[in-house]
Amino acid sequence: MRESVITTETIANPKSRYGSANASTRHFITQRVTGAINILFLALLLFIVVRLAGQDRADVVGLLGRWWIGVPFAALIANVAIHMRNGMRDTLEDYLAGSMYRLAMLLNTLFCLAVALLGAGAVLKIVFWG
Amino acid sequence: MSVRARPTSPHLQIYRWTVTMAMSILHRMTGIANYAGMALLAVWLLAAALGQDAVTQVNYIFGSWFGQLVLFGFTWSLVHHMCGGLRHFVWDTAAMMEPDQREAIAWATIIASVIITLLIWTLFVWMA
Repeated sequence: MRESVITTETIANPKSRYGSANASTRHFITQRVTGAINILFLALLLFIVVRLAGQDRADVVGLLGRWWIGVPFAALIANVAIHMRNGMRDTLEDYLAGSMYRLAMLLNTLFCLAVALLGAGAVLKIVFWG
Repeated sequence: MSVRARPTSPHLQIYRWTVTMAMSILHRMTGIANYAGMALLAVWLLAAALGQDAVTQVNYIFGSWFGQLVLFGFTWSLVHHMCGGLRHFVWDTAAMMEPDQREAIAWATIIASVIITLLIWTLFVWMA
C-alpha cells in the first residue's frame, strides 16, 4: 500500500509527512474536544434509550420532540460524527497511503456524513414536525 | 543475481501481552465498533421519524435475542471507549506514566468498563 519505502532517515526527517503536516495538531485537539463532549452524548443517550427502548413512536416524539432535549441531542450526534471521522482517519493513516488512503477517507467522510445527516436530521424532524 | 532472504521483523504474536498493549488495541477496536454501531442509533431514530410501522420493525429486531446481544456489546464498547478516552486525558497531562501506574490505569479501564456496563444492564434492563 505504501508508495515509497520508509527508512529511518524518512522518519527522522521533520519534512516527511506522516498524516497531514498542516492539520495533525488540529486533528489531535479536535479528537480530545469532541471526545470530552461525547461524555455528555453518552449520558443523554443513556437517559433517552432507557426511557424509550422498545417504546412506540408516540413516546419517542413525546420525549425527543421537546426542543430542549431534541436539539442538544441532534447537536451531540453531529459532534459524534466528527469524532468518528477523525478517529477513523487515525486508523486509515496507520495502514494506508496515497490514493488508497484518499479513497478510504472519502468513504469515511460519506459514512460519517450519512450518520450525522440521517441521525440528527431524524431527531430535528421529530422536534419541528413531530 | 540471487538475493539472500532479508531478515523480517518479528510478527505481532512473539510479543508478550501486556495490559497496556491490550487496552490500546481494545481502544481502537471499540472505536471501530462504535463507528459501526452509530448506524444502529441512526436506524432507530430514522424509524421514529418515519412512522409507527418502522418503529415496530426496529423494536422487533433490536428486541430479539440477537439484537439484545449486539446492543449489550455496543453498550460495553461505548463505555470502554469512554474509559479509555478518560485514561488518555490523564496521560495527556503526562501523569500516571510510570510502569506500575500505567498498568494500574489500564486495568482500571477494563474493570470499570465491565462494572459500568453490567450496572447499566442490571439496573435498566434486567431489573426494570
